[in-house]
Amino acid sequence: MKSRAYITLASVGIAISGMTLVWGQSPEAPVNADHADHAECAYFGPKRAQFMENTLGTARRTRSSFSQETEAIVARLGGLDSTRQFIPGGSRTFSSQKGSSSGNVVDKHIFGVLQEKGIQPAARTNDYEFVRRVSLDLTGRVPKPERVTAFVSDSDPDKRAKYVDELLNSAEWVDKWSMFFGDLYKNTDQVRATNTLRRAEGREAFYNWIYNSLKDGKAYNRMAFELIAAEGPNSWTQGELNWQIGNRTTGGPTQDHFDQMAAAAMETFLGNSHFNCIVCHNGRGHVDTLSLWGKSASRMQAYGFAAFFAQATFVQQPRDQRPDPNIYYWTVGLNRNGTYALNTTTGNRPPRQPVSGARVVAPVYPFGDAMTANAGESLRTAAARLVTSDFNFSRATVNYIWKELMVRGLVEPVNQMDPDRLDPDNPPPAPWTLQPSNAALLRDLAQDFIDNGYNLKSLMRRITTSDAYQLTARYDGQWNPSWDNLHARRLVKRLWAEEVYDAIAQTSNVAAPITITVSTRVPNGAVAMTRVVPAAMQTTSPASRGGAAAFLNPFYPGDREDTERRRDGSDQQALTLMNNNFVMTRTRANAAGGLLSKHINKTDRELVENLYHTVLSRMPDESERATAGAALTSGNRQQAAENLLWSLYNKVDFFFNY
Amino acid sequence: MVPGTTFPQATEINAMFNESTFRRFVKKNPHHHMPFYARPSGSRRDFFRTLGAAGLASIPLQAQVVKGQSVQTQNTAKNVIFILLAGAPSHVDTFDLKMTNGITPGTFNSTDLKGVAWNTGVFPKLAGQFDDIALVRSARAWAAQHTLSQTWVQIGRSPAAVLGDVAPNMGAIVSIEKKGERTAGQIFPTFLALNSDGAIGAGYLPATYEPFKFAPNAAGLPNTTNPDGAVRLEAKYSLLQGLDNPLRVNSPYGDPMTDFNAFYQAARGLMYNPAVDKAFKYSTADAARYGTTTFGNALLTAKQVLEANMGTRYIQVSLGGWDMHNNIYTTQAGQNSIFSLGKVVDDALSTLIADLKSNGQFNETLIVMMGEFGRTVGQLSATAGRDHYLQQFVFFAGGGVKGGRAIGTTDAAGARTAEFGWSGERDVRVEDVEATIYSALGINWTNIRYDDPFGRGFEYVPYANEGLYKPINELWS
Repeated sequence: MKSRAYITLASVGIAISGMTLVWGQSPEAPVNADHADHAECAYFGPKRAQFMENTLGTARRTRSSFSQETEAIVARLGGLDSTRQFIPGGSRTFSSQKGSSSGNVVDKHIFGVLQEKGIQPAARTNDYEFVRRVSLDLTGRVPKPERVTAFVSDSDPDKRAKYVDELLNSAEWVDKWSMFFGDLYKNTDQVRATNTLRRAEGREAFYNWIYNSLKDGKAYNRMAFELIAAEGPNSWTQGELNWQIGNRTTGGPTQDHFDQMAAAAMETFLGNSHFNCIVCHNGRGHVDTLSLWGKSASRMQAYGFAAFFAQATFVQQPRDQRPDPNIYYWTVGLNRNGTYALNTTTGNRPPRQPVSGARVVAPVYPFGDAMTANAGESLRTAAARLVTSDFNFSRATVNYIWKELMVRGLVEPVNQMDPDRLDPDNPPPAPWTLQPSNAALLRDLAQDFIDNGYNLKSLMRRITTSDAYQLTARYDGQWNPSWDNLHARRLVKRLWAEEVYDAIAQTSNVAAPITITVSTRVPNGAVAMTRVVPAAMQTTSPASRGGAAAFLNPFYPGDREDTERRRDGSDQQALTLMNNNFVMTRTRANAAGGLLSKHINKTDRELVENLYHTVLSRMPDESERATAGAALTSGNRQQAAENLLWSLYNKVDFFFNY
Repeated sequence: MVPGTTFPQATEINAMFNESTFRRFVKKNPHHHMPFYARPSGSRRDFFRTLGAAGLASIPLQAQVVKGQSVQTQNTAKNVIFILLAGAPSHVDTFDLKMTNGITPGTFNSTDLKGVAWNTGVFPKLAGQFDDIALVRSARAWAAQHTLSQTWVQIGRSPAAVLGDVAPNMGAIVSIEKKGERTAGQIFPTFLALNSDGAIGAGYLPATYEPFKFAPNAAGLPNTTNPDGAVRLEAKYSLLQGLDNPLRVNSPYGDPMTDFNAFYQAARGLMYNPAVDKAFKYSTADAARYGTTTFGNALLTAKQVLEANMGTRYIQVSLGGWDMHNNIYTTQAGQNSIFSLGKVVDDALSTLIADLKSNGQFNETLIVMMGEFGRTVGQLSATAGRDHYLQQFVFFAGGGVKGGRAIGTTDAAGARTAEFGWSGERDVRVEDVEATIYSALGINWTNIRYDDPFGRGFEYVPYANEGLYKPINELWS
């Protein structure tokens, strides 16, 4: 290793004076005598340049693969066909050559860049595609066939915007985003890593808080504020206490709680998961090639933020109905005398020892101008205030939502935002580049979010009514994979596990209710309390999927702990959609009140159209009509009809959101 | 987690390593480096996780660069069965038996087998197969926290380290390494996870190397037959093909890893396949030979799958319930204790070994069994149990491993290693077990893959190139 370093030094022509390595012109990374013997270290030596280039280059390369999948899937959707390209007269159109004239902040930036680079965007999506896409994106449900018909035949030029509003105001919108935020806040019955129990009661309370916050249109900065600053006697009745509780840490001193809460706040609300590294050690020598902010961030700075959580207390309260030590709820309290002491040698993080004589760390927000709590303000409230008024809080939230609606975040991965690389008015020094694919867009959309009072619906409206959102996934020219992050075409994605389940139940018209356990208290030996929900999107946590879990799991819904929700495919998904009884029973003509029974006595043409219209939210094209028609006329018609419905549930355009 | 547990301090870590190797290591990482801690798991794993998802999954790997040093692998095994005893079994009550007067039940019936104290009361059948078994007793875990250490054991490195969160399960590495060896007819997944729903996945590797997870069932692999029958399925499938437009043959992207069609074809291959049924279904009689337990069913399935020789090479099986903080020696029915879970293991594993021997696959199938750490020694806790502890055992059998002995010894209580028993001259670590598994399969454990998300290089075994961790070659001699 030593000899390799010297060879590299020579080849790069770096001057060595004594044992001090002078590298590049990087004033923010002075190499002093303390680090002299880091000369051989890969992180500081000449190899560093190579890492940076490799990392950034690899990051750029890997991000371009979204379009690969899109190309493959779109190819299966078929070519041009007048039925499927139907754009009824009267709907707002635009010329992609001229760019969008919508005045929408999203369009200004997306099309601005495309024009600048001379890239032709994809064509506008047709009404069939739009109605299904936006319904899935905003509500996790496919549109009902009557709504599809009404939408497509509507001649109102503003029908798309009006449909967006209809979806935003629906009960299903609340369901889907309750699931989304349940994922983000990691609402589970227990945290396995620390054996912290919310239990079903706590999880339901947390779900209800999320649900009601969304339903009531609570401003998002207020939601975040409540989660960070919450105090209260009972986690089973006060849902917002459960975010802090989930970040409790066992097997160590109380400083471990504070660190974990701080790290979780950084990731959940500021999209910054590198912070969790800095809580253990300085960034230097660890995250140098990952985060510009991180590489000069110090553990003291991390303590400074963690210190805001030093007044938090967690007390288990055993239920007095049954003296079972495992049945308890939590009280989250405030200890005004709590401080962040540098006096640990054990636990989950490296030792915390006095620095330059300082034995206690004062709370200081790690970004901006040394901000701290106001006089009389509790520290947790101060943290909530500082986080939610940070511009990057808006950026991070906008990015999370953008990713869900536009498939690719403006910053990817969404939880690796680098605070020092986001501002287009203050770009990072070379070779670092601005992190967002469109930094001006992220800035302006974040500002727009703030100007609208951190209103989630208004943000989603802004995105889904933009022309950029309404591009089709088909591309009629030669596509270049490096354009992936420019949103010049729609990117496809698989449906969520819950969306697949609910789409099959809804379109087949055969209900699939799920029983959720909502209480584990067993007073007087009675059965644990449950409630029934009609849709998978209304389940409240991974543990609450009940009997539906077997169907859902192959579609990677995640467990909100170690396993995130994934968009990947698998053999088991194919096996499930082809053979699982959940699907099979719903494809049969004898399913009572089912989709097939409703249309089987119609003409072949009508039958085919209705099945397509209901399951895929579109009309069959000529070749599909011919194939399906031929199947219906040869052999057993009922069986052929069942086969047809089965095929639609296994078709690529059922399973993908395009 | 025991509050107040102290973790190794810097001086202790010095002693754990061979002195000169450690000095070289410290020189390369010259700050007061404490390599491993019990850190809260899940947090760092999350933030690196997304790098392995979606985008990366679609990249064809023809550009991969795999480089390793020139090494001699053992290359005696074709298959691995990795048994994770989740919850962490007490080592002094199982495979590093220590009879503590007044504490250890007399029914353990400690027997001397070629100098090794064996718990014949709990493992009578395995006792009879001692000549096929090699125990490592000088093993020590890095951390005494369940999720962290269970992950550690599956990925062979600290989950809190830089590449810990994108690190694939050892089975996924085996899967990608053995990909080239699959023949046309071999349609079973290379990496199977039985009763292991929480098994760590393929990390940053493409989704095709994910473990195929399922819970063994007498009815076989689920969803592999259509309730309407095979003939109807054909009709359905050909209608589906007719309706879906054909894939463009001249797509500039070649064959994307996430091609929808590929999953369907693979799925079709598993359906109505007598080989699948034969491998995944089992009779009551066979299940009974393995003890009629979910663990027994898993080992039975593993044996059948390997017998089928349909491409499966790495099978992870989990058996949980070992976290015996309370009443570790209870004989009460329905309670997890050394007796109850020990019997489950004894019945199933002894039958597996016997079956593998009779079908000729024992010498080419490496069996590795371990927990994520050990349990406290000597006196029981206030709740008549044992708590988390770093000292542990690793159980090896098959794959050409020389049985009938133990490597390493611990002190009288079983608290610390007394003799290391191998050339590493320090405690055996999970990373060494990982290197051993790769070496057994003929995989170069010093390989570094340069297709990782950081372009930094993903080492199969951390620091293997510096010789810090390596295979336990003594197992073969």
